[in-house]
Amino acid sequence: MHIPDGFVSVPVAGATGLASVAALFIAFERSQEAFGIRRAPILGLTTAFIFAAQMINFPVAGGTSGHLLGGTLAAIVLGSPWAGTLCIATVLIIQAVLFADGGITALGANIFNMAVVGVWVGWILTQTLQRLLGGFKGRLPLAAGIAAGVSVVVAAIACAIELALSGTAPVAIVLPAMTGVHILIGIGEGIITGGVLTYLATARPDLLPGEQQEFRGWSVPIVTIFLIAGVLSLFASAWPDGLEKVAEKTGFIDLAAKVRVIVPTPLADYSIKGLGPIGTSIAGLMGATVCFAVAFGIAKVVKPKNA
Amino acid sequence: MLKLSLPLRLQLSLVIVVGAALLKYHAWYCLGVYAAIALLWAWLLHVSIRHLGGLLGTELIFLSLLALPLGWERASFLLLRSLVCLVTMNSFLLTLPPHSFGIALKGLPVPAPLKENLLLAGQYMEILLSEVTRMQRSAQLRGLHGTAGWLRYASAAMIGALYLRSLDRAERVYGAMVARGYNGQLPIDSPLRPKERFAVLLACAIAATVTLTSYKI
Repeated sequence: MHIPDGFVSVPVAGATGLASVAALFIAFERSQEAFGIRRAPILGLTTAFIFAAQMINFPVAGGTSGHLLGGTLAAIVLGSPWAGTLCIATVLIIQAVLFADGGITALGANIFNMAVVGVWVGWILTQTLQRLLGGFKGRLPLAAGIAAGVSVVVAAIACAIELALSGTAPVAIVLPAMTGVHILIGIGEGIITGGVLTYLATARPDLLPGEQQEFRGWSVPIVTIFLIAGVLSLFASAWPDGLEKVAEKTGFIDLAAKVRVIVPTPLADYSIKGLGPIGTSIAGLMGATVCFAVAFGIAKVVKPKNA
Repeated sequence: MLKLSLPLRLQLSLVIVVGAALLKYHAWYCLGVYAAIALLWAWLLHVSIRHLGGLLGTELIFLSLLALPLGWERASFLLLRSLVCLVTMNSFLLTLPPHSFGIALKGLPVPAPLKENLLLAGQYMEILLSEVTRMQRSAQLRGLHGTAGWLRYASAAMIGALYLRSLDRAERVYGAMVARGYNGQLPIDSPLRPKERFAVLLACAIAATVTLTSYKI
């Protein structure tokens, strides 16, 4: 997922660079305690550990291979997504400058994808999934494993969008390709993250966060809905539903073609042309967002006066 | 090898890479200029061609998979531009003396907290590698074998164990560093001399000229 030099356009490199600088600036402010005598070795070693882990590729189907991104793992071990962002950003800087892995000019984009999107998606999902799974500390490895897997896919989608915006590759080619491979890499990431956290929970539970942070009540249903719409929709069956099956069998399915007024629908059949299953996922996310926005708007309008 | 300080070598490499990466599409003449500069850089640093070729081969296979679907002309420019950047950065990397991670990282123009983390990560990298070696030797001496499932479980546990063992050593090393007066800065000071500063400015001017020319042609 490391974008090399010359693959992102100047505007995209500039925009993602600014976003990354802003995120790192806030991260410095928010993780001052990570640079004290007690925490500095943990931050430094976690950075070195993630760097080493990223050097080890595991095989993925189709002759490709992937490696741990480690954003979720870093955020959980360090107990703060801000420190996790700093950790992964440091790894990416070392890789770009000393190992030519990922471009210097694409550093902003790479930091944005892996140190901001990857870390934060993993962190928020971990917190939410842990609550969904009952809130026990023992469920942390499972929640983190799932979250880590999803975070890799989301980071890959961000990367694909940047490449498409740069004009490097058409979105119809790069988005399915990146997402498809990174779903498999995400599974590996999830297994490794869960495995390492299981070991740490047994051997050094003091390293892992204790009490879960309080979240507002609406975050759990929202994240659940988006997980179902965005991730589980990828595995939806392509077979016709009951009515379509009956219509095919009895031969009245062609009646739909004779409709006189055709209403243009951008996401017909829950898909986006040329994007395959990823289009279904994006359509699901867009649908969920629109539904939420409409319901929220209606709720605001028809709110009782005494509420 | 050309007698240049590490910070100067790093900054000159970065100037070449940034300049080449920002070239306009299909600016072949300007890319040719950068390619010549990159090759000259590799020659000046006396890079081992075999090692450089090995690194570039691996990188280019991945880049080809990404670029070739874009059409031959576009892909060839993208690949050559990336190749120039890779030759430059890998030339710097392959001629980096051992244990000079910290010195090289200190030359980076990044904020102090990030620099501290970079330096510590560089220090701990060697601790991590030595722990990996010791654990591998232990595994060999104990004749680690079994079913695939057992080996996978053992590997996952070893990753966790590696983290904890390295953390213990890292905490001890950090304590020793603090006791010796460490305050977030490595006691290595290598500011650029006036001549070196001039060299960097000159390189910036040349790179800016070549890159901006690509947008005018």
